Amino acid sequence: MDGSVRLEELVMRFGDFTAIERTSLTIESGEFFSFLGPSGCGKTTLLNLISGFLTPSEGQVFIGGEPMAGVPVNRRPTAMIFQNLALFPLMSVFDNIEFGLEVRGVDRKTRRATAEHLLALVALEGVGERRVTELSGGQRQRVAIARALAVEPRVLLLDEPLSALDLKLRQHMRSELKAIQRKTGITFIYITHDQGEALTMSDRVAVMSAGRIQQVADPMTLYRRPATGFVAAFVGENNRIEAKVIERLGERVRLDAGALGELEGHVGKEAGLGGGALVSLYVRPEQLRPVSAGASGPTLAGRVEAVHFEGAALMVQVGLDGSGERLRVQLGSEVSRTFADGLAPGVSLTLGYDPAETVVLPRDDGSLVDAATGEVVAAEGGSHV
Amino acid sequence: MFRQLRARFGGPLAAAILALLGIWLIVMVTLPQLQMIEYSLRPNLLPAQLGGPDDRLTLANYATLFNNEIHRAIFFKTLWSSVLVTLLTLGVSYPLAWYLAKVATPRQAALCLLLLIIPFWINEILRTYSWFIILAFRGPLNEVLMMLGLIDRPIRFLSGDGGVMVGMVYAYILFMVFPVYNAIESLDDNQVRAARDLGAGTIRTHRRIVIPHAKPGIATGCIMTFMLAAGSYAVPALLGSPGSRWFTQIIYNWFFEGGNWNQGAAYAFLLLVLCIGFMSLVMRVFKVGLGDIAK
Repeated sequence: MDGSVRLEELVMRFGDFTAIERTSLTIESGEFFSFLGPSGCGKTTLLNLISGFLTPSEGQVFIGGEPMAGVPVNRRPTAMIFQNLALFPLMSVFDNIEFGLEVRGVDRKTRRATAEHLLALVALEGVGERRVTELSGGQRQRVAIARALAVEPRVLLLDEPLSALDLKLRQHMRSELKAIQRKTGITFIYITHDQGEALTMSDRVAVMSAGRIQQVADPMTLYRRPATGFVAAFVGENNRIEAKVIERLGERVRLDAGALGELEGHVGKEAGLGGGALVSLYVRPEQLRPVSAGASGPTLAGRVEAVHFEGAALMVQVGLDGSGERLRVQLGSEVSRTFADGLAPGVSLTLGYDPAETVVLPRDDGSLVDAATGEVVAAEGGSHV
Repeated sequence: MFRQLRARFGGPLAAAILALLGIWLIVMVTLPQLQMIEYSLRPNLLPAQLGGPDDRLTLANYATLFNNEIHRAIFFKTLWSSVLVTLLTLGVSYPLAWYLAKVATPRQAALCLLLLIIPFWINEILRTYSWFIILAFRGPLNEVLMMLGLIDRPIRFLSGDGGVMVGMVYAYILFMVFPVYNAIESLDDNQVRAARDLGAGTIRTHRRIVIPHAKPGIATGCIMTFMLAAGSYAVPALLGSPGSRWFTQIIYNWFFEGGNWNQGAAYAFLLLVLCIGFMSLVMRVFKVGLGDIAK
């Protein structure tokens, strides 16, 4: 069963507003794929285009290789789990799950057997006769999953289904969803603004902003090698330092960070940043560590402004000498144990980092930046993957 | 209730509100009804006979209906026709309510509601009379149908119950549209989307999701329309033919032409019983309580 989804030159406009810029993308069959982005970035629109609730202004959606133009919602091989779940409140759990089968004319006995099998799959045996209004949030969540799986979709679309749950349950459901996806082998397309959800569950993640896909990658790459400033800032925490390229040595660049002195960073092979290009250096809080003054490699000198204990880690806010820019530094338990006593506000601190773990990107002032030259170019329309 | 009112309006005002409510309920609703029942249980006597030996309680006025074949037939015909009017009104109103609640843009819905309400600024008699003109033997509807070549000779729309039906559906449509509209409006759009997404077509989505949700509204609309239809006087009087007399017309005749208030009161009370009976039946069929309807 081919559950691949291909978006071909898809554009969605509402009046003058372009919700989805020209987008092409292929989601593999059996993949757990997430669209991650802030609210209003177009991810829900994209989901509605795949499910058929919306018709694209341009381009086409293919599911399992078949074009979906003109195929109405109720004939598409997809099933949706809605943000508010949209369980049928007047029906029992069984009736909810069996609804899709009833529509397809499956006989009573088979329906019930399927429903029971699915309830077992979502670990919810024995509640079939209950009304859905009698269930807890987590149980309803499971019923919604079972109801969607009952119609044997090739693609399951999930629209922020965990957002209504409390933190503990949400974390638990993450692993559960992932397990169900692995067991069923169905393509999951997951919409979320919660990067934790996207990173922990997905095989691949598409980060979206303003109707445009910024980057498609596996979670690790997304975190370690963000392709745009938006991704670098949106996924995980990042410190940004503005600088100018002095010279490029393969994947290393030497940077002039003004008052902060000379720094070093990592660039991708494909990025053609030459000398003089304006760039941003991104260093994650956990990559910064205290070093002794005069240590080899790039260093940043500053003064501790605040220390926050966060359980597993210590979050230190450092004001840099010269520029006054603030960096967030996350110290793991081993480091913080040795340094904790000395880390009071006002203490001078020298920070070092491994340039290979950083990312240098063309400076991003919100407009589209040409990755090769670092120059701002006109919207060239489209994220190609 | 008093405590809540007092918290909001203060003691004296709360007491005044409750007193007015009490006066209204007792003096203007309950007592006249009781008097009608009292009337209905006494024979129609000349003033001289009042308080005499014949002035005693009797069920004779009720027996009249069961003994008079024509009146009985009209009673049941009124019941049946009112049910028909209710079903027809529901059939017309449901798609309209659905369109207003879920399909139309706010502008379209506002415009449509305005168009529905404007005719109701005109007196019911006039509105009904305009239907009399439209449906007349040499009226515009027949003209148009002949012009379109759909019929060879004019149809006598007003000779049977047809005119009455049309007039009543028209007269009471708002009483059906609004409760159904309100009920459908409160349905979460995602419910409909979920049903569609799971493969349901239009009919099944309505049958399994929308109608069950709108049930209290449908029940309210049906009860109101039935009551109004069964109690209507103007529409059958204007649009009815001699063969399509309504029970209200019989009651009217007892009161104002026969001068027999006691007999009229008995008939009116029977009509009330009929309406209450229908209401309980509908509530039982739709499995809704009084609380759902009052919403």
